[in-house]
Amino acid sequence: MAKPITILVGALGGDGGGVLCDWIVAAAHSQGLAVQATQIPGVAQRTGATTYYLEVVPTPGAASTALALNPAIGEVDVALATELLEAGRMIFNGFVTPERTTLIASTHRVLAIGERSAMGDGSFDVGRLLRAVKERSKAQILFDMDQAAEESGAVLNAVLLGALAGSGRLPIPEQAFEAAIREGGKAVDANLAGFAFGRGHARGELAQVVREHHKRQAAALSVEDLVERARRSYPAMSLDIVEEGIRRLVAYQDRRYATLYLDRLDAINALGSAELLRETARHLAVRMSFEDVIRVAQAKTSRERLTRVRAEVRAKADEPVMLTEHFKPGIEEICAILPPAMARRILVWAERTGRLGKVHFSMHVRTTTVWGFARLRFLASLRWWRPRSFRYAEEQAEIERWLAVIRVAAPTSIELAREIAELARLIKGYGDTFKCGLGNYRRIVAEVVEPALAGSLSPKTATDAVANARVAALADPEGESLSKTLTAIAASSTMMRRAAE
Amino acid sequence: MLDQPQVPIAQRTNPERSFREEVRALRLGNGEIFRGEGILAVTKAILQSGVAYVGGYQGAPVSHLVDVLVESQDLLDELGVHLETCTNESSAAALLGASINYPMRGCVTWKSIVGTNVAADALSNLASPGVIGGALIVVGEDYGEGASVIQERSHAYALKCSVWLMDPRPSLPTIVRCTEKAFELSEISNTPVMMELRIRACHVTGEFVAKDNQPPAISRNNRLADPALHNYDRISHPPSTYAHEKLKVDVRLPAAQRFIVEQGLNELFPGERSDLGIIVQGGITNVLMRGLDRLEVEGKIPTLVLNVTHPLVPDQIADFCRGKRAVLIVEEGAPDYIEQAVNALLRKRDIDTRIHGKDVLPMAGEYTAEVVTEGLLKFFAQTANDIDLSRPRERFEAARAGRAEAQRLLGGPLPLRPPGFCVGCPERPVFSAIKLLEREVGKVHISSDIGCHSFATLAPFNLGNSILGFGMSLAAAGAVAPVMQRRTISVMGDGGFWHNGLLSGVASSMFNRGDRVLVIMQNGYTSATGAQFIPNTAGNRRDGETTSDIAATLKAMGVKWLRTIRTYNVGTMLKTLREAMSTDHAGLKVIVADGECQLARQRRIRPQIAAQLKRGERVVRTRFGVDDEVCTGDHSCIRLSGCPSLVVKPSPDPLRSDPVAHVNNGCVGCGLCGEVADAAVLCPSFYKADIVQNPSWWDRLVWRLRSSVIGAMASG
Repeated sequence: MAKPITILVGALGGDGGGVLCDWIVAAAHSQGLAVQATQIPGVAQRTGATTYYLEVVPTPGAASTALALNPAIGEVDVALATELLEAGRMIFNGFVTPERTTLIASTHRVLAIGERSAMGDGSFDVGRLLRAVKERSKAQILFDMDQAAEESGAVLNAVLLGALAGSGRLPIPEQAFEAAIREGGKAVDANLAGFAFGRGHARGELAQVVREHHKRQAAALSVEDLVERARRSYPAMSLDIVEEGIRRLVAYQDRRYATLYLDRLDAINALGSAELLRETARHLAVRMSFEDVIRVAQAKTSRERLTRVRAEVRAKADEPVMLTEHFKPGIEEICAILPPAMARRILVWAERTGRLGKVHFSMHVRTTTVWGFARLRFLASLRWWRPRSFRYAEEQAEIERWLAVIRVAAPTSIELAREIAELARLIKGYGDTFKCGLGNYRRIVAEVVEPALAGSLSPKTATDAVANARVAALADPEGESLSKTLTAIAASSTMMRRAAE
Repeated sequence: MLDQPQVPIAQRTNPERSFREEVRALRLGNGEIFRGEGILAVTKAILQSGVAYVGGYQGAPVSHLVDVLVESQDLLDELGVHLETCTNESSAAALLGASINYPMRGCVTWKSIVGTNVAADALSNLASPGVIGGALIVVGEDYGEGASVIQERSHAYALKCSVWLMDPRPSLPTIVRCTEKAFELSEISNTPVMMELRIRACHVTGEFVAKDNQPPAISRNNRLADPALHNYDRISHPPSTYAHEKLKVDVRLPAAQRFIVEQGLNELFPGERSDLGIIVQGGITNVLMRGLDRLEVEGKIPTLVLNVTHPLVPDQIADFCRGKRAVLIVEEGAPDYIEQAVNALLRKRDIDTRIHGKDVLPMAGEYTAEVVTEGLLKFFAQTANDIDLSRPRERFEAARAGRAEAQRLLGGPLPLRPPGFCVGCPERPVFSAIKLLEREVGKVHISSDIGCHSFATLAPFNLGNSILGFGMSLAAAGAVAPVMQRRTISVMGDGGFWHNGLLSGVASSMFNRGDRVLVIMQNGYTSATGAQFIPNTAGNRRDGETTSDIAATLKAMGVKWLRTIRTYNVGTMLKTLREAMSTDHAGLKVIVADGECQLARQRRIRPQIAAQLKRGERVVRTRFGVDDEVCTGDHSCIRLSGCPSLVVKPSPDPLRSDPVAHVNNGCVGCGLCGEVADAAVLCPSFYKADIVQNPSWWDRLVWRLRSSVIGAMASG
């Protein structure tokens, strides 16, 4: 008996892996080839990974006594994956080998729940995946099949089938695959288009379609002189960030505010590290453009926003789109834009009466109606008032403290200063998330940074400790990892002190 | 969808799964070629065998058997076959009681091991009197990769009840022959027969030559005038049971063993090595054969394939082993029943063949290609050093080294993809609300159950302390609730409620004045097994009328504190949970969380909407979105929802490095993300977009007017 050609498919629920197998089986049958497929479909629901395994006997009419139901390590001829991590999984499990396996995979990523729910960037290193793909398979056909499916109006499985047909690894002519799609009788035209796309790709007939990263138009604001000022004094590697920061802050507030940004950066630039300047410039711009209701209203009423939303929800040119925004400001959000003295009095009262964090005003604003839009537009127009607001005062004070710590740390260790600058990543979000992030940030400053600056940790240890604490703070929202990490750091610094004594 | 009226439970009808192709395959006649999956082949084989009745309870990988027959009502009517969609496995096993008194063939199916556990009482009482009509139980073995249940062997039931167990080699002709022969075996030995099929065997594709379907002699179309004469011997009650026990060993067992040999149910694959042999369970023959091929000894080692794993035929085993130095037993799972039995019977006959099995193969876990190959290498190393295995061993070691290298390159384990709730699932909002409740009152003991909602025990919810079986969550909190300062919450699906929860849980809790909270997910189907109907679904498959309403049932049972809440209203759900946790009412508090299974709903409405659009009718499509400029990338919305269409994408903002949330086009507009953002006071990034397709002239006019005013007001 001729050795069967073995095919392993890794897919996500809902990718149509079962239909893909049906097509391959039907195409093989039409050529008189013995074929067997089986699957571990996972659960009926849509998030789990599923695998399918097929064996095709390459000689027509050959007997098929014992086709296997399980793939074996090192014995897979063709591995198909509907997503890059699933390709990685087949490699990880030893099924894909450089001696034997042609790997046909989509390069797009669908993040797993653990990657998505991280508080920062939790996605698996794509570089590692691609390196493993290149080194651990014999031949590769890789492209973004998700996008190809989108462009051809097909489901991804048809593109994958096309790529398999185009790879020439199966003794089955492409007409047989097309016939299988026609026999299937569902979305035939779209699937044939997807098939043609995939086949063309596998044969290198189409150039890799590079994903266009949407670059925002630089706002037409008169900021040349500020940009020029930055160019004169700052190292080149920081300029793209600084320029973006200038533009951001002019749009957020005004030229004066952007000038304050540059003044603050001058003091950091004087510390002599281009990298520190770049990182600080990045976070400083984000911190200075803190999210208050004025900022949210600005974002929600910008002209390009409606265009972007229409594209995102795929509305056709003649289809009206109605938008409803979900807002739920609480006492703190309202106080944020009041004068500081008044805001403090209200907050004290709200705290005392237990209303703080409890009372919220649920608002569903329809921004595609004139009245709804006008209300938000009014809020956005309060920009001139912002520097007189409570939140502004609080934020500026907090920013100054942060910059001061960076300035103090830099002479001891630039790395430590950079880590402190990076700590600003913890401060983000709204409501409870914001408070929790700010709390974590303050804890780390009080329990790690300040002791370190007081000399209880060596600069090297302190740098690592701050980095560890930051990662821990982002690891879980309940703050358990952070507490553990801080305890460990405190213990090690005590030990160091003892050793020194 | 929040704005769209919810379909009341009584109108949630056929989820419109279609098995048209499968139904056609069941009608094939003599000489035609059947092509399809293993479980469908079994379905065809039982019709070819002239069954009078079929029943079962859904569960992977055997749901398909009943599902396809539900849609084959015409065919069943023609043949006169009765179909019973049972409410649990116990009811399915009891169905076979028809074959105790009447010469009718019947087949029931369920998922093992869990289903067999539920069926155990009826199974024992069926096995004791035995049957005069062939009785077949098709059990789906959910074992190994992808399994969703505890890992135990159905074999134990076969042994202790004295029912026979078939484990056919996974090739369609063999599966079909075994199915047909199972009925004969059952009749000739008056014993029910279980046939176990593993997941891969149920889904394996293949072909066989079909035969005509056989209409049963006694059937719905050909009714009996009188019941069977009273015969106390057929009743599972003392003193008959004492006689039954003797009959099992003295009469039925030998009859079965004779039939197995006469019909050649077990297969002998010859080989030139007369000194060695392998005995294998039919179901894993293909793994073994490929393993032998890998070691370049395929066809050389005589192999006895046990398509019937209980009873064993001592003479057959002894004859196979006699004169051999060593025999390997390839038997998946623990304990090693077959290996023990073979050792014992050889010992009794003084046959000194060395038996290997669990010494070279692992006691527990799935017998994958790799595991079996390693076992074979060890077996041959110990028993046949004249076979040169150096090349295969090198290849095998190289493949393993390659895998280690791949894992080093990838640098650690890859992110897992645990199953989770579907896009727009109505159960997700309940767990979002429970998470928010825990923020207020602290951690709560949550007694989980079987069903889609058990996914809440996984990321991102991580809610749930125990799972005790299907419909058991309320009962499982029985001794926890009295020792907790806070009330316990038991979560149960409507599937679980009808399967067991009503009696084991609700009745028992009421009877014992339990102070507990029960949340019943009323989505209208047993969704995790493929959206089958249950008593509270509109679609009783015959007349479209709801059989039993859950709230009415609970009221009738005396439940005083009862609320039915639409699941998507997270705020209301949270309020109701808060009330249930704090009310002075000391008895059982039940929240019926109502929301139709989104998979079923989408299957139903998608074709309707497509048709409306084609006719040019106005259709409003709702979905949600995230303003990436406003999102700061903290992902709290994902941690409180986990919706597959709520994903992350790189931040378009060059100043921010953390990816931002994004709603992809899988969104069905259930509105949970907006609700959660509202209830948890998360952030103002979410927006709802209603896209008016085929807009009317009025829609367009209003839109144009608004757009022109808004355009003038907008900032640059």
